[in-house]
Amino acid sequence: MNCTRRNFLIGGSTTLFLSGYFPKISFASMQKKNLIIISLRGGMDGLTAVPVIGDKRLKKLRKKLILEDVLNLNSDFGLHPKLEIFHKLWQKNQAAFVHATNIPYTGRSHFDGQNLMETGAHIPYKEKTGWLGRGLLASNIIGKGLAISLPMPLLLRGVPQNNNFFPSPDFVETKLIDQIYNEFKGEHNELIKSTLDTIRQRPLSMQIATDSDDRKKLALEAAKQLKDQSGPRVAVFDLDGFDTHAAQGGVDGAHADELEEVNKIVTILHENLGQAFDNTLILTLTEFGRTIKQNGGYGTEHGYGSAILMAGGLLKKSQVYTDWPGLKKKELFEGRDLNSTIDSRAVYNSAMSICFNQDPEFLRKKVFWGDELPDLSQELFKI
Amino acid sequence: MSLNFYRRVAFGLSPNEKPDKDPLNWAINQLDTIPDLLWPGTIPTEKDLRKKYGEWVYGDREVLRKKFKNDKHAYRKAKDELRIKTGERYFELNEHAIRHFQTKYSKQPVFERFWLFWGNHFAISEKDFLAEFSTGPYQREIIRPNMVKTFEEMVQSVTTSWCMIHHLDNSESFGPNSKKGMEWGETINENHARELLELHTVSPNAGYTQEDVIQLAYIMTGWSHKWDRKNLETGDIWFDQEMHQKGDKIVLGVKYKNDAKRELAKVIHDLATHPICIKFVSTKLCRHFITDEPTEEMIDPVIEAWNKSNGSLIEIHKAVITQAYKYNEITHKFHPPEIWLMQLSRMFDLNIPLSFEKMNYTFKSKPNNRQRQLSWILREIGHSPYRAKQPNGWSDLEVDWVSPELLLRRFWFASVELPMLVKSGNRSHNFILACLKNNFEDHENMASLIENFRFGTSDYDLGQKYGVICNLPGVLKI
Repeated sequence: MNCTRRNFLIGGSTTLFLSGYFPKISFASMQKKNLIIISLRGGMDGLTAVPVIGDKRLKKLRKKLILEDVLNLNSDFGLHPKLEIFHKLWQKNQAAFVHATNIPYTGRSHFDGQNLMETGAHIPYKEKTGWLGRGLLASNIIGKGLAISLPMPLLLRGVPQNNNFFPSPDFVETKLIDQIYNEFKGEHNELIKSTLDTIRQRPLSMQIATDSDDRKKLALEAAKQLKDQSGPRVAVFDLDGFDTHAAQGGVDGAHADELEEVNKIVTILHENLGQAFDNTLILTLTEFGRTIKQNGGYGTEHGYGSAILMAGGLLKKSQVYTDWPGLKKKELFEGRDLNSTIDSRAVYNSAMSICFNQDPEFLRKKVFWGDELPDLSQELFKI
Repeated sequence: MSLNFYRRVAFGLSPNEKPDKDPLNWAINQLDTIPDLLWPGTIPTEKDLRKKYGEWVYGDREVLRKKFKNDKHAYRKAKDELRIKTGERYFELNEHAIRHFQTKYSKQPVFERFWLFWGNHFAISEKDFLAEFSTGPYQREIIRPNMVKTFEEMVQSVTTSWCMIHHLDNSESFGPNSKKGMEWGETINENHARELLELHTVSPNAGYTQEDVIQLAYIMTGWSHKWDRKNLETGDIWFDQEMHQKGDKIVLGVKYKNDAKRELAKVIHDLATHPICIKFVSTKLCRHFITDEPTEEMIDPVIEAWNKSNGSLIEIHKAVITQAYKYNEITHKFHPPEIWLMQLSRMFDLNIPLSFEKMNYTFKSKPNNRQRQLSWILREIGHSPYRAKQPNGWSDLEVDWVSPELLLRRFWFASVELPMLVKSGNRSHNFILACLKNNFEDHENMASLIENFRFGTSDYDLGQKYGVICNLPGVLKI
């Protein structure tokens, strides 16, 4: 096993970034590029999704959570058997993973953590907008955000006229809105008013009535719209249930069920985006990983480092991109969690730069307050 | 004082209620006692429902899964029958009816608003079968009786309740140096300790560390359900000394001597009276009743009342209402879907919940559509009260409740569903006008917007009228 700390990453791109090197992006490309984020709330266990099969310590610390039938990625890393689509795409250079990564937050609170994974900030509840919303605004891409959830996720806030799709059980006559629209006066009614604007401009296909419990239908509609050249460029899915303090399970169990949901969404997107999948990036987002060690309820506790699952034709190649910190006690964060050696915001910033045709340096300043986030576009994505 | 005060701190005025000449006094006088639950139908006890929970999980896990291990189809059928027999599909519907009936008819609606607040502060999120069997009775039997006691007493009751302990996994938390911990090689589960700090008391503002969480989890070890073969995890809560971590513990710099079950009460005392806890919870109260971003000026008198009364919830509630009254004319507050529904139901005397006779359940077939109606509406408008996604409960912020789909669902409810809930005697245009006059200063403007439909009493016409009225800015928020 050669899972020792490797330094191929940090040295490389930081220098590139410091020297002001910036790869040329083809602004001539007229193809619309899609960025899809799947939020995994509760703390996704990177070591369950992408286990480090090359390190025997993992098995030793998780006797009751052992994975069998792990799909093989390379000599060091495997893939949870429920993440089939990622394995399939891996063969075609259309799936990749960033491992031992997280937002720079070590507090282990879900709610602070989720707030920060969405705002991209350092202090919980301080920012009222999401990094994705700010990225869209900075890139002057307005009205192109689509959330597949009932509320508007914080992640997308900060740019006006986002849409969401989570239809009600009956058809709703939107002409009622015309009758009351002018009643919304004053600053305190601005948010509702602009949301009514969005409703009035919705495409007809979004006015269907359907069963919103059916994730398949929701993902299908998302794919349909993303495929449309004039449709949304960003979509956000929201999954919860990753907080498996008890009965986390291995191949089956609570965490596996959630991974299966991710797999389902990506499968539907892949099948239905068609050619547009080549111009798409799908990335997961979570607030933290989980402890290496299992706890009293055969689950795991809140941890730190996790993994980002990635799919799409805009990926450079299939790879597990990591600066692996190791699982020895002294290598763990506070002696208990997988460490994070990559600020996940660097991945998201680079992904936005690719999908929004924007200078990563510009986005870094506009979206992440100039925080030191190396440009990973060259390493991870097609440019 | 504007009529909107009755919606700020309560649910508006029903057709047979009139505004009080002293609204502040009207509101404050509702907080000294616990009003009886008014629902004339069945109100099962927490213990009874926990027994049902036990029958359901035992029947499924220990009996059916083994009996039908090779026949998926037969298993599913038997499981559905067990659902009916144990009321697994029914009790949550009944709980929603009890809750809605209370907010609709209570003579102390202001008290009921606080009841909703505390139930959400100490939220039970969607997990296992809690919403089906346990969250409702927890709201009635744990939250409600404590609302005339101190905040500290409330935290004590909540922390040792079966529902919260199950919700946050404390039964799975073993002191690593306890008898059972050593024998079975088990360790702590931090979930409950972390949320007791973060959500229920001091919040992350207190600056606690991971070590504080671990130490608090040690103190909490042993507080668990009494497991047995027949009841599985649905046994009563007790303190199991054999799970309890031995030795002294230190939380937020305070040392708690090795003192078995007494350690918990001591640490809760310190947390519930911590100045940061008082500020955190006072802010949440002001956010709920006054505005999304309350100022220190708004919050300080609540903190003062808290300190002066040693955390008496009656006094705290009165201070909150006094502040809500003071700032009524200059602040705005958006109402989340459930409160909006409750207000419409009270102001327009809607036909929900279903009558208690019709809510009666025979445990012989699936609950019918009428019995499911209220719960279904709550779900569709995005606010099924006992199914918050996470232990921090439902948000109190407008931004979390405004999205195209969430607003469309309100239009859907008001224009499609609501007409079917209008009582036969209340279909006239004049009835609507009277309700508007009773609750809104600008009722004349509101009436002018539905003037075109003044002769219509069909479901469609009512849908056009209510679709407009219920979604006006002054109804969605105050």
